[in-house]
Amino acid sequence: MAFHSYKGGTGKTLLSINLAVTLAKHGKKVCLLDLDFRAPSLATLLKVEKVEYWLNDYLNGVCEIDKVLIDLSDRIADQGKFFVGLANPSVEAIRDMSSKDRKWEMRALGRLLSLRNSLLNAKGFDYIVFDTSPGLQYSSINAIVSADIVIVATTLDNSDVEGTRRMLRELYDLFEKKTEIVLNKILYDDSLRSGREKLQALVKETYEVPLLGVIPCFCDISRAEGKIIFVHEKPDHPFTRILDEIAAKIDKI
Amino acid sequence: MFVNHYECFVRLNKLFSTICTHVKHNEEAIVSSQEVLRKKPLQILEKIRESLEKLNEKMEIMIELQKHGRRDIQTIPQEAPLDVMTLLSMPDHLRKTAMTVCRLGRATADEVAQQTRRARAVESAYLNQLVIMGYLKKERKGRKAYFYVDKESQG
Repeated sequence: MAFHSYKGGTGKTLLSINLAVTLAKHGKKVCLLDLDFRAPSLATLLKVEKVEYWLNDYLNGVCEIDKVLIDLSDRIADQGKFFVGLANPSVEAIRDMSSKDRKWEMRALGRLLSLRNSLLNAKGFDYIVFDTSPGLQYSSINAIVSADIVIVATTLDNSDVEGTRRMLRELYDLFEKKTEIVLNKILYDDSLRSGREKLQALVKETYEVPLLGVIPCFCDISRAEGKIIFVHEKPDHPFTRILDEIAAKIDKI
Repeated sequence: MFVNHYECFVRLNKLFSTICTHVKHNEEAIVSSQEVLRKKPLQILEKIRESLEKLNEKMEIMIELQKHGRRDIQTIPQEAPLDVMTLLSMPDHLRKTAMTVCRLGRATADEVAQQTRRARAVESAYLNQLVIMGYLKKERKGRKAYFYVDKESQG
């Protein structure tokens, strides 16, 4: 699945890490790949210090995927498996990735599609989660094309709503992708407590796609400053319960 | 395109006359070498079948070009990278076919048709159109034609 959004800061990375870990905690073998080459953040958030090969190297044809994937299963101490492939956060690597031509991007799509097949078929992964850059970026669209489900993280901000609506019609629909919406940063007031159906109807009417989950604006998440894997360290938090529900829904899909 | 058709018909005619020649005038050879008798007409028939298939594909391309207009197609360079932005800008019917080839890596019209649930002849026409547009390459192996995205030569 690919996490995508029209605007930045909608919670793609937070959701992709926490959903990947939730699925692993449910006993699945999960691979989380950082395809946000413009602003890589998984290496920092997951506190991986020694990285020999990056996803950049795999897409450049420098190495095979085995050298890129890092096994972080011991971090979650559960039955499942949790692997990550990281994007190189150095400025030089970001510059290099943003100056690739169309032919390179075409080959990158080919490598991503074969990566998907090898992880799901030969290596026995249950899920691949792509974290992507917002908007219309080559790496993000490559991830969308390679994914079976696109999960769009969106807020109720007007520009985000309009942009997301356009992307649904002019991007995901064109690639015939199954799309689900996660509403993030929703104010935890009366409207959320009593009006879940209302929000569901609003999403259905605005986007014409199913609503996968509603995540309130949690101060605890801001307070954590991206230093912890929330669902792992706060198993009783409402955020963790919502992610559990989303994971269960995805399992059914 | 019509010249090519004409050439194909001429070639077919020649093949038929070769068969006739073999049947009518080579009785001695047939008697002396039964091995040749068994093999050659079969090879010739196989060639006829291949030529007919090629002819069929060319007809399909012509029909497609007439359906969708050929102006757009002719302005596109012979070798064009099939990247996601190109996929986005393609007409819907071709995008579906192109994406299926991207996913499968290398496929026959039959294999693509199984995925898209459209008729083999339709997919064959779209695939050949994508070849003309420079997005796909085509390679024949025996009687099968394989379509693929040529990543190497564009590197």
